[in-house]
Amino acid sequence: MPAYTVYMEQLPGLLKKWSADYSVQVPTAVPGGFYDFAPWSEGVEIAWDYDMAYNSHKRFFLPPREDLIRYDVAKCEAQPVFEAPAVLLFGVHPYDVRAIAQLDQIMESGAPDQYYLRRRENIAVFALEPLRIAETAFWGTMGTATADLGFDLYWTKIGPASFHVKVGSPRGEEMLLACGPVVKATLADREAARKVGEAVRKKAGENGLKFPWQEVPQVLAKSWNSTLWREKARLCLACGSCNVVCPTCYCFDIREELDESLQKGHRFREWDACMLSSFALVAGDHNFRPQARERYRHRYFRKGKYINDMIGELGCVGCGRCVRACTARIANPKDVFNALWEETR
Amino acid sequence: MAKPKIAFFDFAGCEGDQLQVANLEEKLLDVLAHVDVVNFREVMTERSDDYDIAFVEGSITRPEDEKRIKDIRAKAKLLVALGACATIGGINCIKNFMEDAQCREAVYGDKARWYPTYAARPVRAVVPVDLEIHGCPIDRAEFLRMVKELLSGKAPWLPDYPVCMECKQAGNICNYERGRACLGIITRAGCKAACVTEGAVCWGCRGLAPGANLDAARYVMEDLGGFSRREAQDLLRLFLGFSSAPL
Repeated sequence: MPAYTVYMEQLPGLLKKWSADYSVQVPTAVPGGFYDFAPWSEGVEIAWDYDMAYNSHKRFFLPPREDLIRYDVAKCEAQPVFEAPAVLLFGVHPYDVRAIAQLDQIMESGAPDQYYLRRRENIAVFALEPLRIAETAFWGTMGTATADLGFDLYWTKIGPASFHVKVGSPRGEEMLLACGPVVKATLADREAARKVGEAVRKKAGENGLKFPWQEVPQVLAKSWNSTLWREKARLCLACGSCNVVCPTCYCFDIREELDESLQKGHRFREWDACMLSSFALVAGDHNFRPQARERYRHRYFRKGKYINDMIGELGCVGCGRCVRACTARIANPKDVFNALWEETR
Repeated sequence: MAKPKIAFFDFAGCEGDQLQVANLEEKLLDVLAHVDVVNFREVMTERSDDYDIAFVEGSITRPEDEKRIKDIRAKAKLLVALGACATIGGINCIKNFMEDAQCREAVYGDKARWYPTYAARPVRAVVPVDLEIHGCPIDRAEFLRMVKELLSGKAPWLPDYPVCMECKQAGNICNYERGRACLGIITRAGCKAACVTEGAVCWGCRGLAPGANLDAARYVMEDLGGFSRREAQDLLRLFLGFSSAPL
């Protein structure tokens, strides 16, 4: 794939051009030392060195609440509702690109999720090499520090005012060249970009799993009866925060609401969370995971084993969002996996 | 099928929930096509004792309230508690932690002895309640949805998880990350985390989520958050005072 060198002075023009067709979302600083993606407009400062976006990007692909069909009870009619706004996510870190790529894979398999896939088609992803690492992150040891697919362009800041930009798709290249020619990356620029990535990955590798991530599924397989689940879950508020901020959690519930005529209505889906006490509640008041420790264990098995059994990669990319979001400080895949590894070695 | 007759009643409360209903404006008019309102002091003068669904706002705080709510219960096919005072006792229950005489004097001054009151209670502590619509005040959209569900013969849906779930969906930065105590961790969702989204904290007006982990909440507030036992207690007793849980 070709690579280019882009200078900071070219960006305002490009951003303006892109925002004619896309809702451009960029990392920005939020008061209090946080970062989150927000719409770009002229004057918005892009936080090139953000450590972690507080909220994951899944909301753009799978909104917290989304209409599925509109129906008419009197006429016995229903039509699907598809919405797929054009969005450009500019500045997604590789571990988050991996999370998006994982969602792509899961949503395409089995019965393809038309709602997700249509949105996905209209979302361009520009990856960005991280410059800083969040305190709670452990992606450096989860095999997610690099991304080979799932992005249209991959940006690396190689100088105070220059970027190395690797092309990931024809759409990406077309967008990059939308304002006229851009210089091809020199060998020295490629080397500079490689070094930036290498340096951040080395640092990210210092905090994380004490064992190879490939062994997480085997460690879990031996840990079903561990006392850790009970100890941690004692403090579980069953609030679903870990699920909601997780970039790979995609479970949803489907409900319906009539309008005031009581004739027409809409069916929608809303994010659900396996840590909520009624997540596994079914007809007849049966709940197959009534206890907090069962739900807590389930989430870690889901992240460390079940997803891996399905698609061959872990369901946790090590972003560290759940570690932050959990007010009781019990959500921490790195600590849980490390503790279980110690127990079972 | 005849339109169900609905009536609104209020006990100890500010009638803010009925105001929320009145504030539905044009949507309220659409709903009125399906029901007959026979009692609604806040918006009409006519009144009748023949009704199917009674919406009851306010807490039960006096002996004569008890008689009146039992009478309403006997007449109504469905009794719906409306708003925090009716569903959980709400802020009226703050007085349950005070001396009765002191509290009456603060409110009624030298006429205190004219007004006997007892511990404030939610409606369900006195008569069976069929449905509770939570909040201080109630959420208009949620009220409308639950009424539509009732009218279409569907069991009204109520979230049974904490506010955090909706707060994170709204994209808010957690209050605990900003060094503020917040009851979203144990309070029943359904408000779309309105208060936190507007920059405040959750005070628990929708009551405890079923199965709320109060030990964990204490741990989060006191051990991790550094708030004193008294600070945590004050927050818990603001809305959640009517509880068998040790607050």
